[in-house]
Amino acid sequence: MSILKDIFTAIRGGASEAGEAIVDANAIRILEQEVRDAETAIAKAKQSLTRLKGSEIKLKREINSLNRDYDDYEAKAIEALNAGQESLAEEVAERLEEIAAERDDKVAEHSSLESEVNAINKLVRSREKIIQKNKRDLEKVKTIKEVQKATTSISDNVAATSSSQHRVSKALDRVKAKQQNWRDNMEAGEWMDKQEQGDDLDARLKQGGIGGSAGSNKSSILEKLKAKQKAG
Amino acid sequence: MAANMTREYSMTITLEELAFRLNDHTTDEGTSFDALLLENGVLEVVCSNNDEFPIHLALTETQLLAVTPLFNVAEVVAGEVDNLNKMLLQLAPAVPLSAFGLQDDTYILFGAIALGTHFEIIVHELEIQAENTIDVLDAIQSLLA
Repeated sequence: MSILKDIFTAIRGGASEAGEAIVDANAIRILEQEVRDAETAIAKAKQSLTRLKGSEIKLKREINSLNRDYDDYEAKAIEALNAGQESLAEEVAERLEEIAAERDDKVAEHSSLESEVNAINKLVRSREKIIQKNKRDLEKVKTIKEVQKATTSISDNVAATSSSQHRVSKALDRVKAKQQNWRDNMEAGEWMDKQEQGDDLDARLKQGGIGGSAGSNKSSILEKLKAKQKAG
Repeated sequence: MAANMTREYSMTITLEELAFRLNDHTTDEGTSFDALLLENGVLEVVCSNNDEFPIHLALTETQLLAVTPLFNVAEVVAGEVDNLNKMLLQLAPAVPLSAFGLQDDTYILFGAIALGTHFEIIVHELEIQAENTIDVLDAIQSLLA
């Protein structure tokens, strides 16, 4: 049975209500044992693989050497035939037959070794699959347990204050107010920056004699007053 | 060799280490953190962008779990629990990095971050979760008592 189904059953049965372990401890032990078993099997398989690989290399070397011998004797048989030494060539042919037989045996051994290696690799892969699957399942159990822990530790705090009405709404309003306040401050900061930059510009304009000075304003007002006095 | 192979999930960060770094960090957006390791081994993180709903962090073999408890079933307007559940399922795809959940009677917002994730990314995820918490609660506020 999948762990998720176990979890489903446990929740349905209200297992987590009392803070009990959500999944039967026995189920977890089985998963963990399976992981250990699979790890042991893999370790053994790897040892066999190392041994088999050694045999395979040795066989390959022997086959190569037999092939070389064969080629060598074949050339010699042709040489004997060319020299008209028929009986000698016949003896060489017998040796060639022996070498070929031995080589074929080794080749057959080599291919059976290869299929053995493949079978072991397959076994390792299937064991690794078990390990991964079980680890994912264990991870689910662990996740449930940790989420429960992480929630419970806050729920205690929440419980202490949850008697108050609109707890969440009030908290939400406070957060939103703080965020608004923060945004307002940002805006104020930006406004201030602009003002400072503006003041700076005015000062520079004044320095450049652009926009007039307080003194010239005063004199122009005086001029106007004098004009009014004359008119009056 | 087999032992090495199966021990591929190495713990790359401890909660103590994370607390230490979070307390010392401010994001580009100006969010700072207040991280406190609780007695039960859970790391409580208060993000300055949402100091009302702390995030609780816990570790498993492969992931860092971030849980924000939202409210209790008892805090939902009477008779609206089914509506709320449906609403949350419909909202869920809109907040793909944080999922809704129900732990006992507590509604939670949670996310999982792979162990070995770069610190800056963890920080960003926390910042987003704190923001998502406000957005989600804001969206469903009318269903809360």
